[in-house]
Amino acid sequence: MTSRGTPSRFLQSVLQNGVGRYICQLKRISIIFSKNAQSALGVRDFIEEGVVDYAKKNPSTVVYVSPQSCRIPKIVAEYLNGNVREEIVTNKTSPQISELLTKLTNQSGLDIIRIRKPFHTDNPSIQGQWHPFTNRPPSIGPIKPQKPDVKY
Amino acid sequence: MSSFSRSAQQWATFARSWFLVDARMQPPGKLATMCSVRLQGKHKPIYHALSDCGDHVVVINTRHIAFSGNKWEQKVYSSHTGYPGGFKQVTAAQLHHKDPTAIVKLAVYGMLPKNLHRRTMMQRLHIFPEDLPDDIRANLTEELPQPREIYRKLSEYTQEEIDAFPKLWTPPEDYKMK
Amino acid sequence: MVFLTVSCWIRSRGPDRYWKVQEVLKHARLWITRIAAASREHGMKYPALVHNLTKSSVQLNRRVISDLAITEPKSFLSLAKLAQARQQEGLRAALGNGKEPAGVFSRVVLLQ
Repeated sequence: MTSRGTPSRFLQSVLQNGVGRYICQLKRISIIFSKNAQSALGVRDFIEEGVVDYAKKNPSTVVYVSPQSCRIPKIVAEYLNGNVREEIVTNKTSPQISELLTKLTNQSGLDIIRIRKPFHTDNPSIQGQWHPFTNRPPSIGPIKPQKPDVKY
Repeated sequence: MSSFSRSAQQWATFARSWFLVDARMQPPGKLATMCSVRLQGKHKPIYHALSDCGDHVVVINTRHIAFSGNKWEQKVYSSHTGYPGGFKQVTAAQLHHKDPTAIVKLAVYGMLPKNLHRRTMMQRLHIFPEDLPDDIRANLTEELPQPREIYRKLSEYTQEEIDAFPKLWTPPEDYKMK
Repeated sequence: MVFLTVSCWIRSRGPDRYWKVQEVLKHARLWITRIAAASREHGMKYPALVHNLTKSSVQLNRRVISDLAITEPKSFLSLAKLAQARQQEGLRAALGNGKEPAGVFSRVVLLQ
């Protein structure tokens, strides 16, 4: 099975990342966990240790902590473009969860699909791209048909 | 780099130039190779067949083109009107007399690639039998060197220059010049 | 491949090397056109440029050279100058640096 039939897109950043300044694309994070389930032990640790620091570090992201009676703790990340990602964090430890949160924060929210031509640069040219006048001596004034110089 | 300056860069890269060629005493085939390269944009490192990067070419003085050999009499331009018995054949001299731009035009048209862009590229070719109008003159960016050097005709030399020219031998009085 | 009859040989699509070259040219044709256009701007022909660049052991492939010609025209100009210098050097060496072999009188001397 080749990968030709799968969805694909060219490598891009959202709105060229705001042309000049970085905008965090992650807008809302909900940490859903159970207060007493064994599988949510790491999540509860993380909420004790790291979640306040995380919220202070990322003022553009809203963090919801919602204890529910559920077996599977999860993190729901909502992005500026409307995409929602759910991550299951069953039996994850506190450092693993904080790593996952960092990853979610840095993501653009675009679907993770195959990337065509996985190379990209915002500044393709350093010396200035070629144009018709790069290698031409600058001529002054309008060009007139000159008299052909007669050879002997 | 902001997007503003980058769009200006894009315009500069794909800007169309206007080339001027003086066809006085030039062979039409050599003119046509120069023109067809410029019309296709094959003189630019950004060339791509689909990116429409051809330039304008202005050819002047096509009334004074030069054929070598006996092409004026022997070269035949054929066409067919589509009607029965409509096969027309004219020599280069007749065609040139009827339309002084036709020979260069046909030569360039034959050298362009045979695809749907051919008519578009031909529209960027401007041919003038003598001088060019002022609105086109204002567009010109560069003059191309002529493909062939123009030598002086014998009639343009003065008698002193002809006399001063070193001769290998002096023809006798009764020698018949061809 | 072995052809036992002439008709089999005629039906074959040509030598294998030809088709191998065509496989490469399928991608490289555009690069070659672009390099040719860019080197013409600096007064060189494409074969002269590529030959002299390989002679001066510049191991850039055609794709990179064509990219350089578009995005970094000054680097390409220096490459073209390098190739031109190598070409002149090769021509001088071929002409024996103005010296003749003993007992030979050729146009090398006449050109000086």
